[in-house]
Amino acid sequence: MSKPKVAFFDFASCEGCQLQVVNLEEAILDVLALVDIVSFREAMKEHSDDYDIAIIEGSIARPIDIDRIKKIREQASILITIGACAHLGGVQRLGNQWDAEANKVEVYERHPGSEITKGDSNPYFAQIKHRAVSEIVKVDAAIPGCPIDSDEFGKVLVALLTGKKLPIPDYPVCVECKKNENICVFETGGFCMGPVARAGCGAPCPTHGGECEACRGYVDHPHTQAHAEVLKKYGLSPNEIMTKRTMYNYRDFEDKGGD
Amino acid sequence: MKIISKQDFDAFINALIQDESLDVEGVKAKGDKFVFGPLDSATELRLDYDVTILPPKKYYLPQYETMMHFDISTGKATAPAMDTKKVIVGVHPYDLIAIQQMDKYFFDTNVDDIYLQKRKNSLLIGVMPAKASEKAFYGDLMKDAGTPELHFDLMITDLGVLYAILPGTPEGAELLQRATSRDAQPQEIEAAKNKRQEAIDRATRGLKVGPKAWHSLLSNNYMSSVWKEMSDQCLACGSCTLVCPTCFCYDVNDEVGLDLNTGVRTRTWDGCLLRDFTKVAPGEIFREDIVERYRHRINRKGKYLPDAMGFVACVGCGRCSSACIPDIADPVNLINKLAEATMDTIPDANVGHVPEKSDLGIVASDSLYIPRTATIRRMMKLTKTETFFEIGLDDGQPLGHVPGQFVEVSIYGVGEAPISVSSPPGGNTFQIIVRNVGDLTNKLHSLSEGDKIGIRGPFGTGFDTEDMKGKNILFIGGGLGIVPMRSLIKYVLNNRADYGKVMILYGCKDPSELLFKDEIAQWENTPGVEMHRTVDTCAEGESWDGQVGVITTIMPMVTFDPLNTIAVVVGPPIMYRFVNRDLLNMGMPEENIIVSLERRMKCGVGKCGHCQINGIYVCKEGPVFNYKDIKDEPEAFQ
Repeated sequence: MSKPKVAFFDFASCEGCQLQVVNLEEAILDVLALVDIVSFREAMKEHSDDYDIAIIEGSIARPIDIDRIKKIREQASILITIGACAHLGGVQRLGNQWDAEANKVEVYERHPGSEITKGDSNPYFAQIKHRAVSEIVKVDAAIPGCPIDSDEFGKVLVALLTGKKLPIPDYPVCVECKKNENICVFETGGFCMGPVARAGCGAPCPTHGGECEACRGYVDHPHTQAHAEVLKKYGLSPNEIMTKRTMYNYRDFEDKGGD
Repeated sequence: MKIISKQDFDAFINALIQDESLDVEGVKAKGDKFVFGPLDSATELRLDYDVTILPPKKYYLPQYETMMHFDISTGKATAPAMDTKKVIVGVHPYDLIAIQQMDKYFFDTNVDDIYLQKRKNSLLIGVMPAKASEKAFYGDLMKDAGTPELHFDLMITDLGVLYAILPGTPEGAELLQRATSRDAQPQEIEAAKNKRQEAIDRATRGLKVGPKAWHSLLSNNYMSSVWKEMSDQCLACGSCTLVCPTCFCYDVNDEVGLDLNTGVRTRTWDGCLLRDFTKVAPGEIFREDIVERYRHRINRKGKYLPDAMGFVACVGCGRCSSACIPDIADPVNLINKLAEATMDTIPDANVGHVPEKSDLGIVASDSLYIPRTATIRRMMKLTKTETFFEIGLDDGQPLGHVPGQFVEVSIYGVGEAPISVSSPPGGNTFQIIVRNVGDLTNKLHSLSEGDKIGIRGPFGTGFDTEDMKGKNILFIGGGLGIVPMRSLIKYVLNNRADYGKVMILYGCKDPSELLFKDEIAQWENTPGVEMHRTVDTCAEGESWDGQVGVITTIMPMVTFDPLNTIAVVVGPPIMYRFVNRDLLNMGMPEENIIVSLERRMKCGVGKCGHCQINGIYVCKEGPVFNYKDIKDEPEAFQ
């Protein structure tokens, strides 16, 4: 059996998730034994449009992105997204609080230097509401996180190639945080999304003194009401709670009928 | 008892650290909290700690533990290499009690060899608590349940400028010989005793009902509104169970490397508060509501394990309450709240808090988890989703099962699934019928005759064929329930003279799901066998000569003396509710109804905790049960 051909594509993102793939270092050789990478801007100069597996980083931000992702979907037999931008719409999705046209004016027409871009009908400047990839085309596997975890990338690849269900857990980050024997973020004066956030990352943020921001999205059935009570008890105002919740998960807010 | 100066004690610990044959672990500071971890020097050791974030359970049942390394191409698995011998310094008495409970649990019925190996390969140095954490209440528990006989190798009591050290085992005494010490004076022995009492007195928080009466308190309050009131605030984050020294449940996963060939089977802490914990292959979640999971946790501590093991599985460390952000996990608070509703409780004299001293001299007979290799001898597709497999163990031995037992079918890289044996005892092969519902069964369906798989077992209790002798037997099978039942039907027909009238009622959704068509035709024509079959629905034009309607509609077609008949009922939960009700209405005594509840089993040996219905471990105590014994378990027929 010939090896499946893999191509990487980026949309609105920092390309940090692709960097995590490059960060596999020696293990990338094991990956190359499983698949042929035919397009990977961050790691090689060659490019081919003949691929079986498309790996997508980034959110859908412009009308031209919609056409492009649909074409990729037509070509790819398997479409995998990597990272929070593709999975949830990324932090840039917070821009959906405003009208897409207003965002365009803000970015391309109001600031110093915008005399060059002002009034330009360049399709690269056109804006839509930010969307996750799965809101436009069917996604076969979403590797969550900002950025993705290199090991998890390998595990998902193995699962897809061996026909197993994806190894992405449905329990909260607290589980992995407790296993790491961390002092609870709430006890150190912080505010944590861990109790509702999907684990699988190994809780690196609380382990290294940070707070969980739920960059991997929520578990399937988050107890958000109880979590909001906790945040309130620890002194967050309703506005601050909303800010915490929407940083990576504005999609959830929109899905639940928020504007 | 020996006396050692603090300076000499430090020298003793440093000498242990220098000894390369030992891995010395002890209590260290982490921020303003404490953890057990590897010691670099005696100065790191903090014997003045209140409580550690995680209990020393992590040394015996680690957060992530490799159970075996496997190679898919050869179908072979090997046990992981043995760790360096551990000396664990600074274990508080409540954690020692928890380890004794864990010993009892992991040594019960099926000795967990992975656990035993780690347990044997370590020494425990205890210390009397110098202070109690804010949430600790072990004093309350010990006052009610009595002063425990603890299992330790050495026990340290801080006498101010000196340490008193009591050896608890010959190994401990031998280790202590490495230290400069002298015998204790009577007044020092007395002082150590007082310190111990002070430690107990310090950790009290006004628990209103002692642990011996928790069983009765929880039994009286299973439907209390307190559960919902508390669990409404529950995050279902699992923290309370993860930090608990007496929560032993785990999940098992196969991880395959990027070579797609080698990998490890691992176990990792799981917990009954997590939604996934009771998920079964087709996606059904057994304890969907948080309130059920919240209630299960405390019942397991105060009622289920006392029933099964004789101890209350709470040691009063207070870790769960410290870890719970909404502050609803505290057993003291919860027990006192329940007690407000009913003080009407009866202490159970047989329930203790500390099991007898552990016997580490026990020997595990075989590896509990590494499967035997087996070969698929014959495969046959029965329906769209069910396939028949005939399997032979590669060591040539018969499986040695009794009807009603199950095996764990293992495929490296995919995992394991419990599957009931469908053939009668005897012969060098056995048969299973597998529905394609999850990763493992899906993979199994893709295999071919001659392919290798792994088998563990047989496990569980089967049907009591002796007890059934001389009686009429009424088989009532629904859907896949016919699969384990077939083992017994064939056994009974092979030993026809031992049994009275044989009646078989079999129902399934529609004619396409009917299993064993040829055998059923045979049974129908066997003298002395009365067979009726029905389908829930039959599409127009489909060929079907049986009845149409749910299984209860064909029950009146057979006549029998209910007092001299055993009903063997196997099917989906909903079926039991209606069939058992009708059987009872026909005058059948409860103890004449035998059921099989094969649900949610995972490890197969009574350790991982997934199959619990209330306090019953289905894989160990079942899957075959007498209806009378489980009818009062609220979760049995859910």
